Amino acid sequence: MGEKELEFAERWRDNAYGCFSSGHKFCREVCPVMQVTRNENHTPTAFHASIVAMEKGLVEVEDVADDFVHCTQCGACELRCPNTLFTGDFYRHRTRTVDVVKAMRALMVETGNEREGWKLWNERLALDHNEPVLGDVRVSQEHVADWADGLDIPVGGETILFVDCEAAFYRTSYTRAFAQLLQRAGVEFGLMREQWCCGGPAAEMGYQDLALKHATHNVQDWRAVGAKRIIAPDPHDFIAFTEDYPKYFPDDYEFEIVLGVELIHDLVQAGKIELTNPVERTVTYHDPCRLNKRKGVHKAPRELIRAIPGITFHDVDRVTQWSYCSGGGGGLPIEKPEITAEISRRRVARAAELEVDTLISACPWSERPLSNAGHEANIGVMDLFELLAISAGIEP
Amino acid sequence: MSRTAFKAAIDDHVLAELRAIIGDDARVRPDRSSRAFRSRVPAPFPVHRWAEHFPDVVILPRTAVEVSEVVKLANRHGIPIVPRAGGTGLSDGAVPLRGGIMIDCKLMNQIHEIDLVDRTVTVGPGINMLKLNEELKKYGVIYPDDPASYPCSLVGGRIGTGGWSLLGARFGHTRDLVISMEVVLPTGEIVEIAEGGGRKLRKSSTGLTLKQLFTGHQGTLGITTQATLELVPRPETEFAAFFAFDDYMKAYATTGILTKSGLATLAGVVLFDEKKIEYLRRDDEAYIPQPESVRAVVAVAMYGRRCEVEPASKEIMRLGRSNDGKYLGDEISAGDWASRHDRYATPLHGRDLDGQAVLMSWHCEDAALNYSVLPQVREEWHAIVARYRERYGIFDDWGMFAYTSGSHKPWADYLVEIDVGIWEQKLNDENWAAWVSCKREIAQVSLKYGGSITACHGATREGDAELVPEEMGSAWPVVKAIKRALDPNNIMNPGKQSLDEAYE
Repeated sequence: MGEKELEFAERWRDNAYGCFSSGHKFCREVCPVMQVTRNENHTPTAFHASIVAMEKGLVEVEDVADDFVHCTQCGACELRCPNTLFTGDFYRHRTRTVDVVKAMRALMVETGNEREGWKLWNERLALDHNEPVLGDVRVSQEHVADWADGLDIPVGGETILFVDCEAAFYRTSYTRAFAQLLQRAGVEFGLMREQWCCGGPAAEMGYQDLALKHATHNVQDWRAVGAKRIIAPDPHDFIAFTEDYPKYFPDDYEFEIVLGVELIHDLVQAGKIELTNPVERTVTYHDPCRLNKRKGVHKAPRELIRAIPGITFHDVDRVTQWSYCSGGGGGLPIEKPEITAEISRRRVARAAELEVDTLISACPWSERPLSNAGHEANIGVMDLFELLAISAGIEP
Repeated sequence: MSRTAFKAAIDDHVLAELRAIIGDDARVRPDRSSRAFRSRVPAPFPVHRWAEHFPDVVILPRTAVEVSEVVKLANRHGIPIVPRAGGTGLSDGAVPLRGGIMIDCKLMNQIHEIDLVDRTVTVGPGINMLKLNEELKKYGVIYPDDPASYPCSLVGGRIGTGGWSLLGARFGHTRDLVISMEVVLPTGEIVEIAEGGGRKLRKSSTGLTLKQLFTGHQGTLGITTQATLELVPRPETEFAAFFAFDDYMKAYATTGILTKSGLATLAGVVLFDEKKIEYLRRDDEAYIPQPESVRAVVAVAMYGRRCEVEPASKEIMRLGRSNDGKYLGDEISAGDWASRHDRYATPLHGRDLDGQAVLMSWHCEDAALNYSVLPQVREEWHAIVARYRERYGIFDDWGMFAYTSGSHKPWADYLVEIDVGIWEQKLNDENWAAWVSCKREIAQVSLKYGGSITACHGATREGDAELVPEEMGSAWPVVKAIKRALDPNNIMNPGKQSLDEAYE
């Protein structure tokens, strides 16, 4: 075993033993990937066990590299872990599975155990500085703000709207709806001079240097225009800005990060956005993992849905939804699209049982696979902001 | 000549045969990680000898025919087979002792049929009870097998280990809840095991009663590939009450009073001893506020219709307080009962001899004991653990509980557990041997008092396994004859429960 592996095993060993020593596996049936593959290699328990095994020289990075692809970094396992649930506060212990997966993927990159799809994605990112889910169409910096055509949004200012790659190039209706809601409420905001990817997906796939490079660029761009406040409508960006960036720049990170759905919630509560047009739909809400499981945000989206006149809302509680996912996160759709598709198919089937016509999400990365599955099941998939824009009478 | 299956080297020829049977290389896994992660269960593990427990290859079958063909192949070549479901057992049922082919049934998790007329559900062995009940909810029925591992253990493992349910006093344990099953025998035949007659009959007097033989055999007699299970009406309400005592014997007496109350909705009564309360006080939100005078706790739960449970709950409150018991309040009662599955022993509570927190693995030594011997066994068990703790410094006494164990008859039988923390990172051959010896002493106390080594975990581990012939006594030759008849080449989970003696 090489030095890098040893260093890694030593760093994560104690946290891994918290899981290895108990071995309860409460995480297993709540894991969206495991529910599909039913392969014990893909369980959080196995991820932690692999660190102990690595320390003992029983497995090497190449033995477990494929296992560690099987994770959307949704965080359900951490919530369901009895160590975290019952004793975490007292001992200040948290089973850190998401961080372990990211660290192992970084080790895979460092030790020449890259995955083909992720390698290609990151090569493209390095060239183009933006990349949605790997598709046939290349993207470019020239078109990163095409979504805003005709909306008359300035560049720069104290408040910057950061638009995710998936939202800028693919789910542009989401982005337009969000920007128009802000305009309706009279919020002043601008765009970046040159917006690069947040770097979050690269970090999730283990490409740490590339992630840092993009983060550094974005922070410099924010500073250059005098930004103080960054609005992040996409939950993935919100995680990058509130968890990754503070680690990259521990002494020097002065920005206020605002989560889009919470901002819109506040604006609706304050009467600055009026939801007057009835929406005659029967809907249920998909808790995006990075809002519900990673950040504990579940009230604001539900209150917004309930504020829409004419809507019939069949809700499923947030704890039941710990075991739901779209499969769209953590790079899974790039390496294992068939698993992402199956996770989304099952999520949509849950919605179908409720006899709804629309599944509402609040995360652009979820909406591509969910829409594909919804198309097959005859269930519409809409973003919360798109729905709110309709109710607010905003023309797309 | 001894026909003991040995640690086999699975060669390329055998692998090719396995791949031909399964027809999907992703479900035939000889890779290191697939083997490493399936060599242990939550029980303490000789982590310094991990590699000795690797299976040689892991198979992920989808059908009974695939299981059957793999078992036939193994039988032909004399290769050990180890069945594995959730891998959440607290003994070594799913841990390979001699390598071989591991059959991991998690992909067999389908619901084949829900019959609301004759009240059965037929499932594959890879389904989890929580997931099953999520599907059953809309029909107003449940499958009430409710172990502490409810969110993660699987039906196949429950059958293999002869699982025990927290609600067993009301609804029965796994063996009472399985109506019939499809089993692949050690020679590869696929057979229907029922009471007699069709798959959905609960009672018959034809032939021999085979069903019990195929529950709790620890994977030594075959592999369940389908099971037809009991459906019961979804309980309209539950009631839980926790009572505190300043003295163990008062709590013990109250346990006896409650279990003999004759209340049909009684689902379980649990007696926690002083050491267990001490352990829970190490951090637990539910117990920290309790005054030092609390030395034992009795918990009781009921399930059923409102018209039954509500009046009966008044009687429970009266009986629970009748011997100086103090009700701990609605919040602790309802909250602690609701979190019964998550209140596993936690490694973070481990303490070394200086009282420092260290991550410890959890061994719970279980036994089946009668009510009359509980106080004496308690004293002897704690004394054994104290002795080993003092001498080796890597063990910790996490207390005991006694839980009603008779199906529908809660008055006389108890599942009794002593939870022992083990500092797994410190394990070496000497410490492992000490632990095995500690375990054996605990089991010997159970036998001395007319008990059984295990009520539910299984006697598959060193320390327990060698005592199985003694416990079975005059019936041991019958057990050996059955094993030899069904598994002539000793391929099915070999090395467990001293069953190698059948081939001597």
